[in-house]
Amino acid sequence: MISPEQLVRVLRRDLLAFGPEVIIVLGIILILMVRMFRGSERVPFGGLAAVVLGLSLVVSWWQWVTDQTLEPTSSGLSETRYLFSYMLAYDAFTVYLRLFLTSFGLFMVALCLLSGVPDPDDSADFYVLLLGATLGMMLMASAAHLLMVYIAVEMASLPSYALAGFLKQRRDSSEAALKYVVYGGGASGLMLYGISMLAGKVGTGFLPDVAASVAATFGSQQFDAVTLISVLLLLAGIGFKLAAVPFHFWCPDVFAGASAEVAGFLSVASKGAAVALLGRVLVALLGGMRLEGHELAPPWWAQVSWYLGPALVFLSALTMTFGNLAAYAQTNLKRLLAYSTIAHAGYMMMGLCALTREGVEASLFYLAVYFFMNLGAFAVVAFLRNLVGSEDLSDYSGLVYRAPWLTVTMAIFLLSLVGIPPLAGYMAKFQIFAAVYHAWQAQQQTGLLVLLALGVLNTVLSLFYYVNVLKVMVLHEPKEIPASKPVSGLALVYTGFLSLVLVVGIFFWDPLASGSNKAVSSFYEISPRLTVSPR
Amino acid sequence: MSVGDILFWIVGLMTALCAVMVVVTQHIVRCAIWLLFTLAGTAGLFFLLGLDFLGATQLFVYVGGTLVLVIFGVMLTATGPFLQLRAGAGEWAIAIIVGLLLYGLIALSWLFADWSKLPESALPDDPRQMYHTEQLGRALLGDTSVQPASELAGVPGSLGAADKASGKLQEPPKRQASAFLLPFEIVSVHLLVVLIGAAYLARAKRKRVVVAPRESL
Repeated sequence: MISPEQLVRVLRRDLLAFGPEVIIVLGIILILMVRMFRGSERVPFGGLAAVVLGLSLVVSWWQWVTDQTLEPTSSGLSETRYLFSYMLAYDAFTVYLRLFLTSFGLFMVALCLLSGVPDPDDSADFYVLLLGATLGMMLMASAAHLLMVYIAVEMASLPSYALAGFLKQRRDSSEAALKYVVYGGGASGLMLYGISMLAGKVGTGFLPDVAASVAATFGSQQFDAVTLISVLLLLAGIGFKLAAVPFHFWCPDVFAGASAEVAGFLSVASKGAAVALLGRVLVALLGGMRLEGHELAPPWWAQVSWYLGPALVFLSALTMTFGNLAAYAQTNLKRLLAYSTIAHAGYMMMGLCALTREGVEASLFYLAVYFFMNLGAFAVVAFLRNLVGSEDLSDYSGLVYRAPWLTVTMAIFLLSLVGIPPLAGYMAKFQIFAAVYHAWQAQQQTGLLVLLALGVLNTVLSLFYYVNVLKVMVLHEPKEIPASKPVSGLALVYTGFLSLVLVVGIFFWDPLASGSNKAVSSFYEISPRLTVSPR
Repeated sequence: MSVGDILFWIVGLMTALCAVMVVVTQHIVRCAIWLLFTLAGTAGLFFLLGLDFLGATQLFVYVGGTLVLVIFGVMLTATGPFLQLRAGAGEWAIAIIVGLLLYGLIALSWLFADWSKLPESALPDDPRQMYHTEQLGRALLGDTSVQPASELAGVPGSLGAADKASGKLQEPPKRQASAFLLPFEIVSVHLLVVLIGAAYLARAKRKRVVVAPRESL
């Protein structure tokens, strides 16, 4: 029997590590409480949400800098602590994603305040949903138990559905929300089905345990359909959040219907959390989250990679190629960016395809850069919508004369999305390609080389439709559009700052790389190099 | 009659009275509130019988979860004709007949059951031997030594001895009891957020003074 004092001590320790999430929970409750009082219409809820996210960011940063257990030791490994009796993992990976998500939340609130999308009447609801979704995404990044994986995905999804339909007066916004709910419900149903089969088969939901059992199943002679199908269903659920082909159907419609701000949030934060979750699940399945006493023979783990590797390579190649090809035909800028985010999900999956720690690291690096370029692109769309009143590409012709600064920053964001050398997007792509190349050197899998070639080809392909946007904005005849309110100076500062990050980002290559390196230091090196043929 | 008996009768009668009021009340929101008291009263009965765990579950699931959902649903959707419920004489007659039949069935099954044949262990003399809220709380907090132990563990056990050469597991993995404090708590936050979202989507947009002329759709 454990004494109550012991329980309280453990709980207190866990709650400290859980601090950033606790702050967001308290923030949600605070916003709810404030609304009960008279005069709450004058409370700036956006500022309140920013303060909550800022506090959470500060605590995460404090953990990142001062917590010695997160620093890699001489063996290159840092500690993983499991919170709340093995429900969540608290390690450098978790804290990195918390930093990513809370700082993105801050930028998001700033964007909403500048573009004025939730009008003051609805702002309290909007920011509660935003905080709730962010909380879910933070849990996605740290889930170490199948139950938490499911709950976290739902916590991230359900507020997102409401956010997608937030513009109630617009028909296509409601349609987008409905589509999102239907597809999302189906996907989470599939995932829950997979999770319950897996947990039932394995007898636990704790990821390293599950992984060990899965590896033992794959490693032994029997072919086990239940394990294979349930793992695939689990990955399909995560693939939906990632908008990876063939689970991408919702993405263009939802992005086109939702406001540009919400689309930006979904494309970066939601996708980031999904990449993190996929990364953690993959690393766990390949034996990167081992516990003491979980020593399985390496060929068993390699057997898992033999099953998962080709499937991932195929999905990643399909995702980026489809995203880039479909983007060509788009006339609506938000739809075009939606397909572009699908393609970028493909690039991030490409890093994970390497099935090495370096690959996960590269994906995290990519996320950090993607944050600025994609948010920037959607921010420009939001400001242009306020200026021009349309999101169709044809209405943006000759925009450079009306909004020169926005056009210039848009050019930087789009070129960075392509990966043109001096911009930060280039180093992100470089990291990914280098990781895949190294993985190919080590494993000699032809699939990886094909993937690499496709990745480079896609990069070149994507150049055309991004540049087409710029061509319309700069070279086409300006259209006669009724005059509207000019874009505020702060909005220009905002986009200017984001583009500045991309321009000077290349000078911060090393610190960023060492950051993402620290983030994956909590995982064991996984070695799919022991390629064994299936028996 | 002991104090316990007197309390049992009081709580039981109040519960029954509230249950009757649920049926008799015509206003739908009041109806939901009477239902709240009925369900809470049932939980009270469980507590009086020493069934802490069952009573707590009754409170969590019915009073806490379902009923709040019902009330919100009623308040969000109650407009016009559905606010007042009036039943005709024929509906009353059918309801009473069906109700009496159900009552008869339950009463019969209760009367004809042989209560003396219950195994000893199912009803310990001291009700404190049974599952308690304290144990429930301890289990949620991660005290693995308390019942009810679950097979779906949060705590890793040993993987079982594996024969590395042949790749066969020699004994099945052992798992310990679980602790689901975090999912339990975090889901409540989740439901709160979702409720706010649902309320936002369901309510009509507040009227604002429109300055610009309305465009026709």
